[in-house]
Amino acid sequence: MKKFLTIVKAFWQRALTYRFTVLAYRIGEIGETLALILMWSAIYGGQKVIGGLTLQEMITYILVGNFFNAIIRNFLSSVVSHDIKDGRLSMFLIRPMSYFNYILSREIGRISLSTLMSVLSSMLIIIFFINTFIWNFDVAYFLIIVAMVILAFVVELFLSYLIGLISFWTDEVDGIYATIDRIKKFFSGGYFPINLLPLMFVQVSFALPFAYSFFVPAQLYLKKLDLSVGLKGLLIQIVWILILYGIIKIVWGRGLKRYEGVGT
Amino acid sequence: MRASELKIMADIEVKNLSRTYEYYRKQQGLSGSLKSFFYREKLFAEAVKSISFSIESGELIGFLGPNGAGKTTTLKMLSGILHPTGGQVKVLGHIPSEREKKYQKQFALVMGQKNQLIQDLPAIETFIVNKEIYEISDKEFKENFNELADLFGIKDILDIQVRKLSLGQRMKCELVAALLHKPKVLFLDEPTIGLDVVAQKNIRDFIKKYNREKKTTIILTSHYMEDIKELCERVIIINLGKIIYDGKLDDLIKKYATHKLLKVVFNGNGVCREEVEKFGEIDEFNPYICTIKTKRNEAKNTAIALLSSNLPVDDIIIDEIDVDDVIRQIFNS
Repeated sequence: MKKFLTIVKAFWQRALTYRFTVLAYRIGEIGETLALILMWSAIYGGQKVIGGLTLQEMITYILVGNFFNAIIRNFLSSVVSHDIKDGRLSMFLIRPMSYFNYILSREIGRISLSTLMSVLSSMLIIIFFINTFIWNFDVAYFLIIVAMVILAFVVELFLSYLIGLISFWTDEVDGIYATIDRIKKFFSGGYFPINLLPLMFVQVSFALPFAYSFFVPAQLYLKKLDLSVGLKGLLIQIVWILILYGIIKIVWGRGLKRYEGVGT
Repeated sequence: MRASELKIMADIEVKNLSRTYEYYRKQQGLSGSLKSFFYREKLFAEAVKSISFSIESGELIGFLGPNGAGKTTTLKMLSGILHPTGGQVKVLGHIPSEREKKYQKQFALVMGQKNQLIQDLPAIETFIVNKEIYEISDKEFKENFNELADLFGIKDILDIQVRKLSLGQRMKCELVAALLHKPKVLFLDEPTIGLDVVAQKNIRDFIKKYNREKKTTIILTSHYMEDIKELCERVIIINLGKIIYDGKLDDLIKKYATHKLLKVVFNGNGVCREEVEKFGEIDEFNPYICTIKTKRNEAKNTAIALLSSNLPVDDIIIDEIDVDDVIRQIFNS
């Protein structure tokens, strides 16, 4: 545990030295959220309800969803990818701590500052829309949402790590990452609530882990979904975490063999 | 008890160690790329071919060889980054490729071209991270750190971002980071690469002192003969994956350096080439300073002949041939 905290602390400090970058990213984020709100306001026009949501609910959906998203995402794949490509991985293989544990602690430290800033900027927009924003102080919902966001964070971390590991076989993962990122956003409901799509899509996306990082917690917040759906969601997330962990183990083992084979 | 059982086990034991890499050939151009997309002929390169050696505790060994000779591959197998494709390695009684924590806490690898310091933070932060990773107690860390920081003279650069440090300062910090857990065995892969002459000498002095004081077993690879000459009594020379020499550096020089160099300084108007040529093969020439190559046993006589000639000799220095030349000679033969 102390190992973990020390690494987190070191990389938290590193993030602090890049204050400009941390701030610069926020401008784009705020812009994106505002654009979505603007777009939906235009689409609603005279309509009262779209996809079971009023405009006020839709704006809340966007605000709260982006707030969760800010907590969940990470930038691990490019770090892992570079470590493998540049052969820096070798320096980790000789240390008495596994690369997986090291890099995960490191990423948590690395993103902690930008996450905090994202959360702050998301809250800023929420305050800006304070008159439209719907509040929900239900404790049961709150607990499930918190658990879901934490699990979604882990899923996202594992997935990014896995994408980074692809570098064992190909020289760059940016393309794959960008594609998966878009698919993820689509299935998570980050572009629009997925219940606007045919039922089949919704079912598929509920079986995938992505909906639990945006759509489901946001809908739970709006009390559009039952608590039981939330509980089932947590279960699905845990299953996904186990599956991803298993895949990581296999891919890591094979990748390492290849890494040695080419002798970077 | 038999004598062999009394013998203290060597720190590093390498037996018939081999390593083969897989690679592909791609024909030139787009059609070649397409072809290799569907079919690739697997080729094998033997980077290390059945080498054996053993290193006793406290030795400082120079590992020499041209680029691609297999030096780094061997060090990687000794540190457990690579699995051997043949033969055995044992370091401190452990098989490195099993990557046991117990072993990893007892050795360190420093590569001149790869860094472990966190670039955007002062070096002290990496030291603290390493303290936790290597599970070093507070007390031990304090002692080791103070001692190393003094030895390397890095106390005044501890709060500066690593990326802002000079290459020499960075290498000192790399070494400190690698030595905090008091490794019994240390692998140094080109630790002086890219450094200026002064910084090279600094690093060299530290390595020498550290080895003498801590009795750490060290394997050092370097392209700079100065490093080897100053630090290593014993050298292992490897070329094309095979060991071609394993023994004392002095013996190597005696064996291969069949000639000596006479550096003669002339005064007055100097001399012309023809006048000197009859004394031996000319290595370097200008009218005032001239280097003559002679057989080892003739060096003295040649010097006497030069002094008693009517040439305006001011000074004569008899020197050994440079180790570089010796090594070059070995690789060429």
